[in-house]
Amino acid sequence: MTSERNEEMEKVDAVLRAIGGAVPDPEMEGRILHRLAAARTSADAGTARLVPGRRVPRFVGPLAGFASAGLMCGVIVVGSVRHSHEHRAGEPPAPPVLQIQRGGVGAASAVRPADPGTAAPLPASPAARGRATHRTAQRGRARIPRQTKKAPGVTVPVPARAGSPQQ
Amino acid sequence: MSAFEGQLAGWMTPARVAKSVDKSQTIAQLVAEYSTTLYRVAFSVTRNAAEAEDAVQETFLRVLKHESQLEEVRDYRVWLVRIVWNIVLDRKRRAKTRPENEDIADHARALPSKDRAADAAVISNEEQGRILALVDKLPRREREALLLSAVQELTTGEIAAMLGTTESSIRSRIFRARREMAVLLEKEGIQR
Repeated sequence: MTSERNEEMEKVDAVLRAIGGAVPDPEMEGRILHRLAAARTSADAGTARLVPGRRVPRFVGPLAGFASAGLMCGVIVVGSVRHSHEHRAGEPPAPPVLQIQRGGVGAASAVRPADPGTAAPLPASPAARGRATHRTAQRGRARIPRQTKKAPGVTVPVPARAGSPQQ
Repeated sequence: MSAFEGQLAGWMTPARVAKSVDKSQTIAQLVAEYSTTLYRVAFSVTRNAAEAEDAVQETFLRVLKHESQLEEVRDYRVWLVRIVWNIVLDRKRRAKTRPENEDIADHARALPSKDRAADAAVISNEEQGRILALVDKLPRREREALLLSAVQELTTGEIAAMLGTTESSIRSRIFRARREMAVLLEKEGIQR
C-alpha cells in the first residue's frame, strides 16, 4: 500500500518536474526583444516633433486640443450673443413668408383654395391684443377724475350699506 | 532660440537620453536572465507553449511601460514572476475553463532530454494529463503553492514574497497539496 502510494507520488513529482523544468523555444528571447523594440518604436512615433531632433512631451498634444476646444466655445458664445443683440427691442420679428399652394394635395387647399390677393397673416401687435402690456395705474387701481361722467345708459352699481345683507 | 524652444531643450537633456538607453539595456538584461523562469511559471498554469511565451512577452511589455519604476524594484525575479503570474491567472479567469488545446506533447519536450528519458520510464503522457487534472482539483492556495514550488529557480522565500505570505505558510500549503494529491490519486486509482 505504502509502496503504491510512493509510486503515485513519484509520478506527481515527475509531472511537476516536467512543468517546472519546461524549456522554452530557443528563439523566444529574440522574439521578445524584437517585440519590445517594435513597441518602443511605435511609442516614439506617437510623439510629434516640433523642433527637429527634439521630442515634445506627451502632455503638449492634449493641452493644445483643450486650448483649441476652449477657443471654439468662446467664439460660439460671443457669436450667439452678438446675433441675439441684432434684434431691436419692441420690433416684432419679420413674419415668415407664407407659401399658399394652389395645386397642392393638402386637404385644406383642396377644400378652400386661397384667393390670389390674400396676404399672409401677420402677428398681432401688442396694442391690438386687448391686453395691457404695461401697467398704467400706480398701485393696481385706476384713478378716475371727479369730473369724469359716465356714458348714458351705463348702470352704476350701488355700494352696499352697513346693516344691509350682503349679496 | 525662443523661450519655448529653450524649454523643449530642457526637457530633453542628454542625460535623460542616456538614461533611456540604460533602461533599454536593463530590460534586455532582464529578458536574458529571467525569460526562462517566467516561461516556466507561465507554463505551469497555461500548459501550452505558445500561450506561455505570449504571457512572457506581455510581461516584458508591461515592464517597458513602467520602465520609470525599474530603479525602485528591489528584487527583479519576484517582481517579474508576480507580473507574469497575474497575467496568466487573469487570462485563465477570462477563459473560465481550462483551454482545450492543452498540449501533452509540450510536457514531453518540456524536460531536458536526460531527465525526459528517466521520467518517460515512470509516467506516460496520458497519466500526465490525468495527474494535471487532479492538480486542478486542489484548492486554489494549495494548487498555486504546489505549481510554483515546481518551478526550479524559485525558492520558498521567493514564492512567499510573491504570494504575500510567509515561508512556513507556503511549506504547509505544499504539504497539504501533496497529501490531498495522494488522496485523490488513491480515489482515481491511477495505475502505471
